[in-house]
Amino acid sequence: MKYVLEIENVSKFFHGLVAIDDLTIKVKPGQIYGIIGPNGAGKTTLFNCVTGIYTPEKGTIKYKGENITGMEPHKIAQRGVLRTFQNIRLFKEMSVAENIIAGCHTKSNQKWYHSIIHTPFYKKDEKKQWEKVGELMDFFGISKFADTPAGDLSYGNQRKVEMARALAADPEILILDEPAAGLNENETIELTNIILKIKEKGLGIMMIEHDMEMVMKLTDYITVINFGKEISQGEPSFVQEDPRVIEAYIGTDDEEDE
Amino acid sequence: MNKTTSIATLFIVVMAVFPFLVDSAWLSIGITFLVFAVVAFSQDIILGRAGIFNMGHAIFFGMGAYTTAILNVHFGFEIIATIPFAIIVPVIFSILLAGPIIHLRGDYLLVATIGFNIIFEQVLKNNVFGVTGGPNGIFGIDVVRVFGYELWSDTAIYYMAFGLLLITFLIIRNLDTSKYGRALYYINKNEIAAKSMGINISYYKLFAFALGAAIAGAAGCVFAIQYSAVSPESFNFMQSVMFFAIVLVGGSASLPGIIIGTFVMFVLPELFTEFKESRYLIFGAAMVLTMILRPNGVWPATFGNIPTFLKKKAAKLKGSK
Repeated sequence: MKYVLEIENVSKFFHGLVAIDDLTIKVKPGQIYGIIGPNGAGKTTLFNCVTGIYTPEKGTIKYKGENITGMEPHKIAQRGVLRTFQNIRLFKEMSVAENIIAGCHTKSNQKWYHSIIHTPFYKKDEKKQWEKVGELMDFFGISKFADTPAGDLSYGNQRKVEMARALAADPEILILDEPAAGLNENETIELTNIILKIKEKGLGIMMIEHDMEMVMKLTDYITVINFGKEISQGEPSFVQEDPRVIEAYIGTDDEEDE
Repeated sequence: MNKTTSIATLFIVVMAVFPFLVDSAWLSIGITFLVFAVVAFSQDIILGRAGIFNMGHAIFFGMGAYTTAILNVHFGFEIIATIPFAIIVPVIFSILLAGPIIHLRGDYLLVATIGFNIIFEQVLKNNVFGVTGGPNGIFGIDVVRVFGYELWSDTAIYYMAFGLLLITFLIIRNLDTSKYGRALYYINKNEIAAKSMGINISYYKLFAFALGAAIAGAAGCVFAIQYSAVSPESFNFMQSVMFFAIVLVGGSASLPGIIIGTFVMFVLPELFTEFKESRYLIFGAAMVLTMILRPNGVWPATFGNIPTFLKKKAAKLKGSK
């Protein structure tokens, strides 16, 4: 298997306006693939197409060779494409551990009747899930917040919970939408190291990020998009020097995407 | 024993000895309180846990009651033998009715369920298929017979209702600590995040409907036994409003909250019967005041239902810092 995710000639329109235009992106296992571009370039729209929130009008998206274009979000997630959100979407009132075990949903074989009668199978299954949650909390260094409501945590820790929740599903593609947004310098460095550690697990990672220092440090390959179109792609050092990229970035501001 | 457990134990003990403390009028109120509490808990699975704005819950309660009544009066079934049907029939209808509307957004779904409730009441009143008895309903439901004993006394019926409440507690406790129960919370708290974790939203919402309908149906069966009659007014839109309000006033997904809600919305008005219709002022005032002062209900739910080994570890790490 050469590519774990293949986005081929994908276009998405909103009311006749082009949001993304003929994008082709291919992600290998163990690779961190960066998507960068000015605000409103269509980066988050692309992620929403991959995860099934939007259906692209043209093109195909393949995951491990299977066509997942237009599939419902939960079916795409069940296959192993998991994501985090730019504007953090946690179950705020619920504890950190309860948030993370949400990621185990697709891995658990509990049936409807296990919610009424707790059989020995249920106990085994439940134990396995919680142990995994414990391991993930250790990995992210958030074990002490196990019973804290996720909404009470700092921004940086909430980002970690969101990543831990996605990892609990054993994804083969992890999609990170601006993981460093709203973080301070220390938190960004910490997160960068965590993402490098996640990479070691051998899964493909796609990320949108505005923090160029972080992007240059982390990514193996980058696609730059502007007005929904690809304007450059290549290794970070190449993209950084590309005159088309420099031109696209002049006069643009760092406002909110989407 | 922590605070919640002691309050729960106290409640169960008081309810267990209640029939020996009161006269027959109060015993009757006690039975209906238990039955309504069970229905409120079943509505709480749909509304409080899954967050579905179901305004037609009296349908499933009524289907349970009518199934028992029809099978007993028209087809000569023993009451005990009607119980599985009083559970299965509402479940089947909950899936048939909710299926086509499950994808609707909260407010649209609410209007659709009101429509179902109105249709249901009309079906009962118009004696469709000649078995629902029309506006007067069905009379003369048998007493319960188990192993040759006739359980006709209110005390016996009280303990049936009490037993059903305990079973409901057990189911909800098990639900809360299972994959399915957690999925309902996730859908309620953040649907997009839930979807992105691989949770099939429609499937789990239908599951909530089916489980809620099953429990409401069982409660309907006990209701039919208590009054040995069923009539359409007991299951109309206003009843659905009451069950909806009990959950929101008491506290969504909160066991003590639902008990308090049922008490405020059903027992309190009974305390002031001498005020006639105006006692329903309490009903209205309770709804208004709670929503203003305690928008999450009188006794809101708490989360953090996680294994002790994780809690202990968290406590240790917090302590060491």
